[in-house]
Amino acid sequence: MIISSAPMRISFAGGGTDLPDFYTRYPGRVISSAIDKFIFIAINHAPYTNHVAARYSLSEEVSHPSELKNTRIREALLDLGIEKNIEIGSFAPIPARTGLGSSSSFSVALMKGLYAYVGKKLDKREVAEAACRLEIDLVKEPIGKQDQYAAAFGGFNVLQFNPDGTVDVEPVLLDYKKRMLLESHLILFFLGTTRDASSVLTEQKANTQKNFETLKRMSDSVPVFKETLLHADFKSAGEMLLDGWTMKKQLASAISNTGIDNLYEIAISRGAWGGKILGAGGAGCLMMLAPLDSRAAVVEALTVGAKTEGFEAACEIPVGFVQAGAEIVTNSYGR
Amino acid sequence: MEQFIQEFSQKAITLLNNLPKVEIAKAMNILQAAFERDGRIYVIGNGGSLALATHWVADFNKTVFSHNLDEHQRRFQAIRLPTTEEELTAWANDVGYDMVFSGPLRNYIQDSDVLIAISSSGNSENIIRAVELAHEHKVPVIGISGFDGGRLNPLSDAKILIQTTQGEYELVEGIHAIVLHIFTKYFKEYFDHVLLLRRQRDKLHATAH
Repeated sequence: MIISSAPMRISFAGGGTDLPDFYTRYPGRVISSAIDKFIFIAINHAPYTNHVAARYSLSEEVSHPSELKNTRIREALLDLGIEKNIEIGSFAPIPARTGLGSSSSFSVALMKGLYAYVGKKLDKREVAEAACRLEIDLVKEPIGKQDQYAAAFGGFNVLQFNPDGTVDVEPVLLDYKKRMLLESHLILFFLGTTRDASSVLTEQKANTQKNFETLKRMSDSVPVFKETLLHADFKSAGEMLLDGWTMKKQLASAISNTGIDNLYEIAISRGAWGGKILGAGGAGCLMMLAPLDSRAAVVEALTVGAKTEGFEAACEIPVGFVQAGAEIVTNSYGR
Repeated sequence: MEQFIQEFSQKAITLLNNLPKVEIAKAMNILQAAFERDGRIYVIGNGGSLALATHWVADFNKTVFSHNLDEHQRRFQAIRLPTTEEELTAWANDVGYDMVFSGPLRNYIQDSDVLIAISSSGNSENIIRAVELAHEHKVPVIGISGFDGGRLNPLSDAKILIQTTQGEYELVEGIHAIVLHIFTKYFKEYFDHVLLLRRQRDKLHATAH
């Protein structure tokens, strides 16, 4: 068996600038960090069965990969020419579609594992590109490239999306003190609802022309945001998120709704500096930065407020930043 | 004599003032990632660089955690290769000196690992062979070199080059020791800090109940 893994991520600023409609005209930038929540993919060679099995939230057993409902596993197997005798399962600590980039983490871990299965080792960049190709070219998701790179590389990075399609990965070199201080200022609040990233992004993609100037400002805000983190000025970072939130709300109608707006306002009223909805929006996780002495009050108010707004399963998720990217955890078929 | 000492120390000070800080920071991120995935860190070098490698392994496996040895369940797994003189001489005598690092490394290497290669010239063939093996496995390489960096520096993921004129072994090896001690000191303080936060949290938790 092969077990591969890839981290989920928190994206702080620049989301939406990783779409080609934008970055072919102006360099897109995203600042994000891998977090200590990992997707694991297990790949089993089953020579005495003729089937292809995919086990995730559904369990599928088919005689040819083209019959699979899971688009990512289907296209990856077809692309690699793996037609039978394989079982693939995925495991994660958090449900899919929470805004933590988990679908791309899935694709990254899947490609890392499947390439190892056919005897090829991929480095970080190769696995990021393989996952982008899978999701964008083969599955034809209308998504950008930030999540695949965040999951493949791990760590805290500024990703720059160049007009020629290349991606620069520049690490944000936070020492352990600043990194851990940021962790203690950060509140990741899971709203317990899910949404399909594609539908929001399709609208956002259609609006790219209209929103070009807004996206340009978001891209340009990334280096500034990076500087606030390097100076451990989390108040300014939070205030920038507040500005970014206002800007992003203009991009697509579904990104926010009244319930989330109310929770955001509640957090601010209890002293949070700012924050954002993670991912393409609509729902998912609310991420806030708050002073240490009002952190507990913000979490409590969000917990109460979430119940009122109908987010029954809402809760805080403790989170740490990690350096680890896509990995082969184990490979019993040889090194 | 004092002038000789002054000139040497002045050169060392200049090199210290120009340490490749970004590359050293990248190297520490690579080590952090290896720790997170419980990977192993192999260290190789010839002559004085081998002595640096051995010293650093002792520091990283023990000194980093020395304040609280029992409280850290997971620790670094730093390994100097080859691990025994028997292996070193067997590879050198039977196969060739070029294989003394990559030969033993092939026995150990897994995808989750890291290689630290120390070479003042950056051109030692046995070092380059091991770096190439690491590349085959997509294992990150921290290259610690001197002079003009030789072949090692461009082949490394973290390019720690202490740039001097050719042959300044004493300066280069001295600064290399300091770079390696920066790794040790950083992680020692990091793990102390992790424990401090954990204790504060436990105390808060105890008070809350």
